[in-house]
Amino acid sequence: MSVGIVLRDAQSADFFDATAAGRLLVKRCQNCGHVSQASTEMCPQCASVDLTFADSAGEGVIVACGVVNGRSKDGTPPSRTVVGIVELDEGPWIYTQFVDIDPDAAKIGLRVRVAFEQPEGGEAIPVFTI
Amino acid sequence: MSVPGTVPGRQPVIAGLGITDMSKRVYGKSASQFAADAVRLAAADAGLAVSEIGGLLTNAGISRALGMSLATDLQMRDLRMLSEIQSYGASAGAMIQYASMAVAAGMVDSVACVFGDAPLEPNLGAGSGAYGGAGRQSVGYSGIQSASGIGSAPTGYALAASRHMDRFGTTTEQFGAVAVSSREWAMKNPLAQMRDPLTLADHQASRMITEPFHLFDCCLVSNGAIAVIVTSADRAQSLRQPPVHVLGWGQTHPGYPLERGSEFGIVSGAAISGPEAMKMAGISLSDVDVAEIYDCFTFTTIISLEDYGFCEKGEGGAFVASGAIGPGGDCPTNTGGGQLSSYYMWGMTPLSEAVIQARGQGGERQVPKHDVVLVSGNGGILQHHSTLILSPHDHS
Repeated sequence: MSVGIVLRDAQSADFFDATAAGRLLVKRCQNCGHVSQASTEMCPQCASVDLTFADSAGEGVIVACGVVNGRSKDGTPPSRTVVGIVELDEGPWIYTQFVDIDPDAAKIGLRVRVAFEQPEGGEAIPVFTI
Repeated sequence: MSVPGTVPGRQPVIAGLGITDMSKRVYGKSASQFAADAVRLAAADAGLAVSEIGGLLTNAGISRALGMSLATDLQMRDLRMLSEIQSYGASAGAMIQYASMAVAAGMVDSVACVFGDAPLEPNLGAGSGAYGGAGRQSVGYSGIQSASGIGSAPTGYALAASRHMDRFGTTTEQFGAVAVSSREWAMKNPLAQMRDPLTLADHQASRMITEPFHLFDCCLVSNGAIAVIVTSADRAQSLRQPPVHVLGWGQTHPGYPLERGSEFGIVSGAAISGPEAMKMAGISLSDVDVAEIYDCFTFTTIISLEDYGFCEKGEGGAFVASGAIGPGGDCPTNTGGGQLSSYYMWGMTPLSEAVIQARGQGGERQVPKHDVVLVSGNGGILQHHSTLILSPHDHS
């Protein structure tokens, strides 16, 4: 399974402009410096709403991991898509799909780095690879 | 101890229970039609006419095809309370709590609380249609998760379970022990859909859904409805059924931060709603005779049992593998077979079985000592929790 199509809305426009250019954005609090997900509107640490986008280094560790099995058809083995949660080194979590990874080797604790996939008709989406 | 603020004689009780037939897959009715049937059954069970019911709370399943118009379908007039409630799998517990408060305050004499859903169609698998996440729009930030392949409940819970396995060493065989215990109970329950024997080997051989979950880690999907009538202890004296007292309750919506330090998959909201409900009821965990735990997945039972304190945190896997939750075990849990083996009616599955057990009407599966029954609801991906403490006695 490759990634599906996501359309932008007003809130996510800057984020998807960045992914199209190969950059993964997070939010940085201008009051306390806490780094959170790009979608965050209020700092979870200090409740400030003075947040600005910042670039993530795009590296992190797997903190949750599962393998989505497709239905077996005509005796062929089911597809196995590795998905999970990455904790970026800056702290935020991101739900994601892993690419170029052996489903049997995928596990919590593995170091991963961001890549991007852009399906026809949709925005570029961050995925992660070893 | 009574619910704070209770008008004398108005301690809340559950006086009626209506369950549409779900012993096999049932087609041909809408969620609203099932719900109307369930309210009529609950009223008849209580010995009330539907026209005597003073309030209605509805909870729609994932197909969202049930709402306030049910009052019109049932020709209910001059209701003192009418609302749609939504906390996903915690909704049944939440409805009982809101109804109990309204009854205790004297706002309404009796309230019907109903869940109904009809996601199944003939020749369509349970993983298709509404429960498969099909057709969900992928727009904006929230669309990234589903577009990445994390759209379904099994996948969301598989990720949570992977964290529990990594942190505590919980195993798929321990998940399987939950499925086996649930089936052993279901085999004693004429209302249950799945009554064939199930072994750990069957569990391990069942196909993978989202690893680490096998098919038998996942709940059923059912068409049908369940309704419950909440009224006052005084009113219940003239009704048909032995009242089941609502002694305590709690809710928690953890709001896990999606960042370093999150306890997602490690600690559930039951860690808060459980102690608060027991405190309100004036009991401790050792007083609980029967546990009815929301079991959308085998893992959900394990993390919930830990957070209520039936075992230490991280030892839920070993606890269920010991046979403690099955028939004859020290901690009878999901005594009707739960959502894994009986029927999938969100929080109404554990609640309905709790009412049956508290009344002592469980037949072959009745737990001999049933003075205190704990009911656990859980919704979203561990995002919403409710707890009820029920008893056939007005004081614990």
